[in-house]
Amino acid sequence: MEALYQSLVTVNPVTLIAQICNLFIQLLIVKIFFLDKIKAVIDRRREAADREISDAQAAKSEAAAIKQTYEQNMLQSRAKAEELLTTAQKSAAEHSEQILRQAQQQAQQMRAKASSDIELEKKKAINEAKNEISDLAMAIAGKVLERELNPADQSRLIDNFLNELGDGL
Amino acid sequence: MEVEINGAKILATFENVPLFGTVQITQTLAVAWLVMLIISALCVWLGSGLKVTGISRKQAVAEMLYTSLVNFVRGNMGAGFDRYIPLVGTIFVTSVVSNLIGLVGIWSPTADLMTELAWALVVFVLITYHKIKAAGIGSYLKGFLDPIFILAPINVMSELFTPVSMACRHFGNILSGTVISALIYAALTAASSALFSRLGSSLLVGVVVALAGGGTALLGRKEGKKFWFILGIVVAVMGILGILANLGSTFPWLTVGLPAIVGLYFDWFSGCIQAFIFCTLTTLFIKQAAGD
Repeated sequence: MEALYQSLVTVNPVTLIAQICNLFIQLLIVKIFFLDKIKAVIDRRREAADREISDAQAAKSEAAAIKQTYEQNMLQSRAKAEELLTTAQKSAAEHSEQILRQAQQQAQQMRAKASSDIELEKKKAINEAKNEISDLAMAIAGKVLERELNPADQSRLIDNFLNELGDGL
Repeated sequence: MEVEINGAKILATFENVPLFGTVQITQTLAVAWLVMLIISALCVWLGSGLKVTGISRKQAVAEMLYTSLVNFVRGNMGAGFDRYIPLVGTIFVTSVVSNLIGLVGIWSPTADLMTELAWALVVFVLITYHKIKAAGIGSYLKGFLDPIFILAPINVMSELFTPVSMACRHFGNILSGTVISALIYAALTAASSALFSRLGSSLLVGVVVALAGGGTALLGRKEGKKFWFILGIVVAVMGILGILANLGSTFPWLTVGLPAIVGLYFDWFSGCIQAFIFCTLTTLFIKQAAGD
């Protein structure tokens, strides 16, 4: 069978209408199976990126807040440490002063005690010396009188002497 | 020899169809359906297995195509015309595939004026819709009387010739490519038969030419001269083909490969640029009609 051809330029309404329908069918297929799907994926990716960015921003502001709190805390603790230090220094100074005062007091007490001891010893020594002197005087007097006094006289005599002596001392 | 250039082959004729009368199913429609199948398969393939992260090479290409289409439409029409993205994309891809399908020896649906006219009519309807929407039906009709009422027929014609010129521009370029291809093919066939009938006139001629070519090629290779090497190979191949022609082969060997060089312009470049021009005009006309 001989193949039939259309002429090169011709109007064929069936082809025209069919091609219009073909265009719309093709348009639907391209839209549903390609454009819409790619668009959905790109939109999803953009959403994900936006979410990521906002998350990052939130994290950043949170970190900034944490940093601020930390710095505040640091500042507070530094002030506290300074305060502690000054308190400690003050108390140490007080303490050392107290210790010094106590030591001075003790030293004074010791000095006072020592001087009273010395006084006592002195008195004791004087008394002893008095006794010695009285014995000596007795002996001398005995020698002078060439006689023995009775003990009562003797004692009185000594006391007199001593009193005189004591007044003289 | 005769060179015959025909329109689309008529595949089937139905008589007495209601409304239409005689209906002829042509090659144009059959190939258009093939093109639709190819594009739909491509769309389904490219649109499947999409992921948000860690995308495949295929998806990267698909997204690049989508982005360039969106950029094209937005660049020409501005924002607010996103609903024409599918139409422009469909016309473009259908046009490109229809033009390039001619490369494998199949009839291009775009070599039939009806195909482009169908697209242009759709665009024309959109243009008119936007004109009426922008100005109102009254001012739209009154616009035909500008600047004076006598020019009304010319205004109507200029309006109607928008789709006709769009269709004819695309059609004419593809048709001229088809015509040039046919002419070149015929010329090469004639040249081939002339050349190989000489070479194949006796077995001796073919053998001598083949040997001379082979010798030149060997010499060129030994001397390191590329030109002589290539020339020798060409001559040797011609000699061998001459021997084949002498043995009874009538195949037009010159039509192998050589038409592809011309096809580089008429099929590849013209095929892509006409699709691009048609889409550019579509976007610009609609944008212009919308008037903002």
